[in-house]
Amino acid sequence: MSNVKCNHCHIEFDQDVMIKENDLNFCCNGCQGIYHLLKDDGLDSFYDKMGNNSIAPPIIIDDDISKFDRDSFEKRYVKRNEDGYKKIDLIIEGIHCAACVWLNEKVLYDTDGIIEASINFTNNKAVVVWDQSKLSLSQIITRIRHIGYNAYPYDKTENEKKATQNKKDYFIKMMVAVFASLNIMMIGVAKYTGFFTGIDDAILNWIHIAEFCLATPVLFYSGSVFFKGAYFGLKNKIVNMDLLVASGASLAYIYSIYVMFGGVGHSYFDSVAMIITFILVGKYLEVIGKKSAVDTLDTLKSQLPTEAIIIRDNEKISIALDEINLGDIIELKAGEKAAVDGQIISGAASFDESSISGESLPVYKKTDDMVYGGTINTDSVVRYKVTKDFEHSTLNNIVTLIEDSLLSKPEIENRANELSKSFSISILTISLLTFLAWYFYMGEFEDALINAISVIIIACPCALALATPMASLIGISWLANKKLLFKEAKHLETMAKATTVIFDKTGTLTYGNLKVIDEVAGTPLSDEQLSIIYSLADSSAHPISIAVKNYLREFNDKLDLTKLDNFEIVPGKGVKATYNCKKIVAGNIALLKDNNIDVNFKYDNSIFAVAIDGILIIIYELEDSIKEEAIETIEYLKDNSLDVIMLTGDNDNVAKKIAQQLNIEHFVAHMTPIDKANYLKKLKDKQEIIVMVGDGLNDAPALAIADISITMGSGADISIGLSDVVILDNSLKGLMDSFIISKRTYKFIKQNLGISLVYNIVTIPLAVFGYVIPLVAALSMSLSSLLVVGNSTRIKMKMK
Amino acid sequence: MNDILILELVFGLILSFIILGFMIWGAKSGQFDDGEKQNGGLLFDSPDDLNDAIRREKKQKDSRKSNS
Repeated sequence: MSNVKCNHCHIEFDQDVMIKENDLNFCCNGCQGIYHLLKDDGLDSFYDKMGNNSIAPPIIIDDDISKFDRDSFEKRYVKRNEDGYKKIDLIIEGIHCAACVWLNEKVLYDTDGIIEASINFTNNKAVVVWDQSKLSLSQIITRIRHIGYNAYPYDKTENEKKATQNKKDYFIKMMVAVFASLNIMMIGVAKYTGFFTGIDDAILNWIHIAEFCLATPVLFYSGSVFFKGAYFGLKNKIVNMDLLVASGASLAYIYSIYVMFGGVGHSYFDSVAMIITFILVGKYLEVIGKKSAVDTLDTLKSQLPTEAIIIRDNEKISIALDEINLGDIIELKAGEKAAVDGQIISGAASFDESSISGESLPVYKKTDDMVYGGTINTDSVVRYKVTKDFEHSTLNNIVTLIEDSLLSKPEIENRANELSKSFSISILTISLLTFLAWYFYMGEFEDALINAISVIIIACPCALALATPMASLIGISWLANKKLLFKEAKHLETMAKATTVIFDKTGTLTYGNLKVIDEVAGTPLSDEQLSIIYSLADSSAHPISIAVKNYLREFNDKLDLTKLDNFEIVPGKGVKATYNCKKIVAGNIALLKDNNIDVNFKYDNSIFAVAIDGILIIIYELEDSIKEEAIETIEYLKDNSLDVIMLTGDNDNVAKKIAQQLNIEHFVAHMTPIDKANYLKKLKDKQEIIVMVGDGLNDAPALAIADISITMGSGADISIGLSDVVILDNSLKGLMDSFIISKRTYKFIKQNLGISLVYNIVTIPLAVFGYVIPLVAALSMSLSSLLVVGNSTRIKMKMK
Repeated sequence: MNDILILELVFGLILSFIILGFMIWGAKSGQFDDGEKQNGGLLFDSPDDLNDAIRREKKQKDSRKSNS
């Protein structure tokens, strides 16, 4: 069987399952519809822009679109711009490439009444301004859904505004610093060449003036963050790296001005600019990381329902979530997400609880069963009584927990920062003592100043500051080659120091897809019976039906789809249909018993049993399978003295079975997302350094608390956004590689720090006693940086 | 000779500060807010897209005028 690409989404599927249309192939009706829509509207250049990228198949949503035009909704999300038009902030779901941004903007701009539609590709956030007299918000959302995407409104928080402004400020500061440094480097070539070939004093003076003009904005504008950091550090009685950078750069700057106005010595404007630029680039990357965390939170919040339908005096009223009271009766239709927790009082339905438990199988719920906020009703209408208000409901608790963790996530300080505290104090003290000693004993102010500055320049934190980033950079690039994405360099160090590794089960240790592991049939099935079962399985999107369908396709070359009559889905139990007047029942044991069919079969796993005219003809047993390399990975972690723990929302039996197969001694079942987060908190209180590996939204709170959070590339967007490390190829071997490379990189970071410390121990005394002029100090400082860079390149050589 | 070199240095410095000024203006007005979109635009924008951008600006200006 060969695979072909869908002409719309470009995802490859088996040829047999494609919808064929002349030379075109589509994976689903949604893709087919949108393909023709774009062609008809002259938007087919979308496919040229898309190139070889693939996008997710269109999102088909069938909810009540009129809610977007209700007053409560408008009050919360819609604002007015300065021209009096309506304005809303949206998060567009389904954007994968620049072509998706182009298509959405194009469609929106071409809609009469839309004044502005700007989509940010980096965070998928959009601002739409429209003329309310020409169209409504629901029509705008419909336009977006029409082309296969979805849009959620979100409340632009103060956090986001601050993070956006902060990122912009840092970007401009970095731009000024990089620009000035590059220019100073160019001018510096002439100056340093002049030391060997001779240079006219007039030219040298002008070079100093040019360097002064370039270094001044770098020190006082770009470098203002270090002055602020040093000031707040001193205010809180903390001596930090910022103080050393600010004082070193300022003294070198003052000394250079002295030289510029005819003093003896050499100017160091270039050193001033370079130090600030190097360290500022690192800070900018941190700011980007924080902004991305805020964007992830907004995406999470935008997925909260915006309102609920409650029954009051036999009338259905739509109210905002914070107006829901305990005891209110909520009506939840098929496809809707429960806003708050409650207890079912009428109806029965299957609920997708993957956001809470991580398990992909829908859970059947009937009267008196609990419904949790954030779970999705997949089939029938139910009414439930509110037992927890929105503030205390499960979904809001998850969001709050993640928000708190992100805003106060304690980072393990890297070694350079730990060292810098004592290092900064020592250097500043030595420099001051050098100045005082030379001034009072030798009586020479100029010598005293030059030697004091030499001490600071020679001890300039370049090598120290480069020790960690250089080694990390090489380690991270090596990891990226192995499809392991480390979002920040400091995670390498934390990973190397980890003491405990916690795994989620479904999707992390197991594939998260059910597979048929056994079948029990009384007699071999006829082709007709197989076709009936195949057609039944094909009619439902339930994970069990999909697994049975795949199993039948794998072992039967010829399977025909048979037309079934009176097809009916029995929520949470299975399906019923008739074929040539024969009554067919297929599903779990409960469904068969409901239909008076006797089943005597012992089982531990999910079951799909089929009966025709009251006679059981076959039982399929299904199980989630363990990932390849899972056993090897667990063994490696245990051999390296790491505690391995498995947390799962699944029941005890399943958890025990998987733990035994993987040789994991510590596991806990029945864990909700909040239980998982609390479990991690307790471990952290015991000073454990935790690596959490998960994939679903249900793992998000725990991922936010862990010291290092690792997500599979196929995981939920929220989890990927929150995680520190993403394993792009979903392979557990990637986890093993992450540990190996992190440990090796950390070893080299320690070596680099050693080199920079030895360098300082040797050179600082020379500077104190006046044996090092500032020029030699600057050159030796560069040499120490080169040593660190050179040593870091050995990481990769050793790996090879 | 020295005068030429000094003139070049000063002129180069002034020119580079003007360019920096434009870049700061661009950054403040949000032109660098979405790097990924910019990359996409640089690689894939056709003359039609540029015409679209002009039409959009005109549409925005007209809407503002008609509303004021």
